[in-house]
Amino acid sequence: MNKRVFSVLYMFMITLFFTSLVTGVRAVNEERIQTNQKVKLQKVILSVLNIPVEPDASSDDLLRLFESSVKKKEMNGRTMYTVYDPSGKTPARYAVIVNGPGFWGPIYGMVALDVDGAKITGIEFYRHQETPGLGARITEQWFKDQFTGLPLSQDPDKKTFFSLTPPAPEKSPRELDAITGATQTSRAVEAFLNKELESIKGFQGSNEEK
Amino acid sequence: MQKPPPANEIIKQGLWLENPVLKHTLGICSTLAVTNLLVNTLVMNIGLIFTLTLSCATVSILRNVTPMRIRMMVQTLIISSYVIIFDIVIKAYIPDISEALGPYVGLIITNCIIMGRCEAFARNNPPWPAFLDGLAVGAGFSLVLFAIAVVRELLGFGTLFGFMVMPEGFTPWTIMIMAPGAFFMLGIYVWIVRSFTMQFNK
Repeated sequence: MNKRVFSVLYMFMITLFFTSLVTGVRAVNEERIQTNQKVKLQKVILSVLNIPVEPDASSDDLLRLFESSVKKKEMNGRTMYTVYDPSGKTPARYAVIVNGPGFWGPIYGMVALDVDGAKITGIEFYRHQETPGLGARITEQWFKDQFTGLPLSQDPDKKTFFSLTPPAPEKSPRELDAITGATQTSRAVEAFLNKELESIKGFQGSNEEK
Repeated sequence: MQKPPPANEIIKQGLWLENPVLKHTLGICSTLAVTNLLVNTLVMNIGLIFTLTLSCATVSILRNVTPMRIRMMVQTLIISSYVIIFDIVIKAYIPDISEALGPYVGLIITNCIIMGRCEAFARNNPPWPAFLDGLAVGAGFSLVLFAIAVVRELLGFGTLFGFMVMPEGFTPWTIMIMAPGAFFMLGIYVWIVRSFTMQFNK
């Protein structure tokens, strides 16, 4: 056989073989991967909405808890997760996904608001590429806890919801502690989160029907 | 065709004499990127050994059929297929670690150690020695990564495999977690090993 024709045919056959192999492995594991990603996001939503999860809950338990307590809907191009009060009638809190550029890559987070959209009740950062031990400390509890109770209204002078400043004893409620040694990440979080909060503001009210 | 070297020779070469990281400075990308935690290092090593042994064996099996002029394409195809399979498996079974390793698993494809071994050894030798060569070189790579990761995790976080081992009040050396920490450690190891071998060769 002509050498060139053989090369082409050989490459074709071997590509066909290996891509089929990869596709096969993918198909077998597809469902598992999807579930993993879903469970991961649901854990974040449950945690930001302050719904207690048992530490040894299986992914099935988690799924059931999520289905029973959280409702998902689209609003102004954003996905919103609502949790209802025990009677199941009135919404209690809701969570929205926020994202923006960090120092090394995009940061994805979730902000929970009370029903009037007046206050932040919780925050989580679930995907980021910040430096471990420095910028990655945005996922630590003390940092996230600072946002709890933050009013969702802008400072009239600065036009910002909050600012991240070096830790100091006397600070106004809008001044949260930045991460020492991670100035760039702190600045990035401050910038994108302020922007995102502004676009979320005014979501309330539209949330009341149902 | 020349005879393949004996098994013990292959192992000695891969682990020490021709150690990919210390002697050839290959695979530096992953050496720097994943050695800040022992768990990440472990998974990376398993991935590399899996890909390296199977790629070498496959390249070797196909060595007499593969046309010379397209052999690089074929090797890349084989390597990337195994890497993607590994990536899918860890995404499905250990999602947390998969998340932590991020793009570095996919970057095993471009790890020069693998194509280097395919080109230098596997395409001229029968499957079993090729497999063994992959295993030995992979183990050599893993040893160095572990040696770096132990120091980085211990000094950077005060932990080993996530367990706190340093005394209370220990201040973590943040520099060890970042890429420069890996550069320092790698430099120190290469220095030590070089000076030892030089003494032997005298």
